[in-house]
Amino acid sequence: MLIEQLINGITLGSIYAIVALGFTLVFGVLGIINMAHGEIFMFGAFIGVLVTTSLQLPLWLGFLAAILITAVMGYMLERFALRPLRHKQGVSHLAPLISTIGVSILLENLSHHLFGAGNHPFRASFAEINFQIGSITIYLVQIVIFVISVILMMSLSFWLGKTKAGKALRATAENLETASLLGVDTKRIITMTVIIASAMGGIAGILVGMAFNSVTPQMGLSMGLKGLAIIILGGMGNVKGAMAGGLILGLAETFIVVYGDSGYRDAIAFLAIIVILLIRPQGLFGQKIST
Amino acid sequence: MLAELINPYHFQVASFILINIILGISVYITLSTGQLSLANAGFMGIGAYTSALLTIHFDLPIVLGIIAGALVAALLGILIGIPTLRLQGVYLAIVTLGFGEVIRVVFINWESLTKGSVGISGIPHIGREILRVLKGFGFDPKVLGLQNNQFIFLSIFLLLFIITIGVIWFFRRQHRSRVGRAFAAIKLDEKAAESMGINITYYKVLAFAQGALLSGFAGALYAHVLAYISPADFAYHRAVEILIFVVFGGSEVIWGPIFGAFFLTLMPEVLRFISEYRYMIYGLIIIILMAVRPQGLIDVNILNWVKSKGRKRGQKHGTGNTKSM
Repeated sequence: MLIEQLINGITLGSIYAIVALGFTLVFGVLGIINMAHGEIFMFGAFIGVLVTTSLQLPLWLGFLAAILITAVMGYMLERFALRPLRHKQGVSHLAPLISTIGVSILLENLSHHLFGAGNHPFRASFAEINFQIGSITIYLVQIVIFVISVILMMSLSFWLGKTKAGKALRATAENLETASLLGVDTKRIITMTVIIASAMGGIAGILVGMAFNSVTPQMGLSMGLKGLAIIILGGMGNVKGAMAGGLILGLAETFIVVYGDSGYRDAIAFLAIIVILLIRPQGLFGQKIST
Repeated sequence: MLAELINPYHFQVASFILINIILGISVYITLSTGQLSLANAGFMGIGAYTSALLTIHFDLPIVLGIIAGALVAALLGILIGIPTLRLQGVYLAIVTLGFGEVIRVVFINWESLTKGSVGISGIPHIGREILRVLKGFGFDPKVLGLQNNQFIFLSIFLLLFIITIGVIWFFRRQHRSRVGRAFAAIKLDEKAAESMGINITYYKVLAFAQGALLSGFAGALYAHVLAYISPADFAYHRAVEILIFVVFGGSEVIWGPIFGAFFLTLMPEVLRFISEYRYMIYGLIIIILMAVRPQGLIDVNILNWVKSKGRKRGQKHGTGNTKSM
């Protein structure tokens, strides 16, 4: 029982971690909270449903389509909602936040019109396959989700740490002007960051669709809010913090459903951040910012 | 004659416009210190639920219920405000967003008190209450040639109108007072304001609490005008809707949120075919406004322009009052 719940928690947590990574990448480079990330994630899930359930195509094509479309959405987001605000005199620092809220409202209601308000089931061909180890049941879906998440996180860490583009991205996150003086094409890096973050959101969307077997236009909002809570929990713009924060939240939510009141599941994330902000405002893994 | 002019539906819409104006001002007040609060929908819910429950279970008069609702919201605003206002703008936005979400979850789950997501119905209705009291004095709407129904909506509208005028008057006065100047100084530059001897924490909490008070007040009014509330009325979408009133109308002057609330509440009612696409249009409006005109439609320049226009016209006809010249 306990181990099964632990597995459930880790599966959920690894999805949360990927969603949070999308937030944290954009925040790290641009210093912007991308409120539309949850909705891009939701679109990824819908693309997955369309490809695998409606068109009966294999799952990997679903992933490919979701990545492509969410990447394009990321580009559009950067081009039309974020870029016009950059380098503009007299724009309040809240303007990009409000602008991405606009994108999120637009996308959520667009998906209402495109896909309908109802619940769409997500049928993975291997949904029922499971393994019995002693008294523990593990579903193949859980393993697939976990493996994909780990691969994604590891390749992101490798890319950020070892490749030239990743180093350029980190330099831009550190200081945009200095990076641009040192020959980094910051404009391209920024666009690339938003695109990569959005594509990760699309992948997370399909993973959530597989895990819960349901996709709705509202899922973007709740997942987006949780992603925000996680990056505060782990420290803003901190990649490792986002991963750890996602796992912590996934486990906490799973255990409160088992041992506590399941109705309050959606509130834990925010209670946690209110407490965190009071005790350790820089987040669990964040550096103390001197002001 | 009067009876033909009064269509309850029009007055219902007008009443919502007035409530939305109060909500818009509540966000404007917090924003006037440079803080973005997305918790106002939550505070609105606190006010609505407090007042509704008190008047239903304890037979409190509506007036006391509304005051209690506003005060409880303000108290929560102070409690939330003191710790969170140490945070920078973006953090505050997220925490207030999260706070609103926690409140919604509590409303849904505390079923013994709030009846969960079904919501509370049978809340005492302001209009009917006014009519009952007036009838106690021997007044009959027929004297004015009105149906009971028409009189109810007319009285709600008049009451809200007076309240809204009062709220606008108060905050316009405040804007020109010491407090208003302190808010403006903090918005421009917190460090500079602090070095000028302004207690920024005090004024930020004050602005936050005023916003909470006002949205709790508007929420309580909302509960007694509609006689039905549910947690969905106070969720994220409400928070964003209120924010859009301010962003669209303009967050620099008080006329911005007033205009925003007026226009954006009226638009879907007048253009019925639009209301289905309303939120998509909202989204587009926000994106375009942020790119083109981040301060909103109405700002100081436009106000000055309108004023100078009015002045010129006054001079031409020779009827302008000497004070404005």
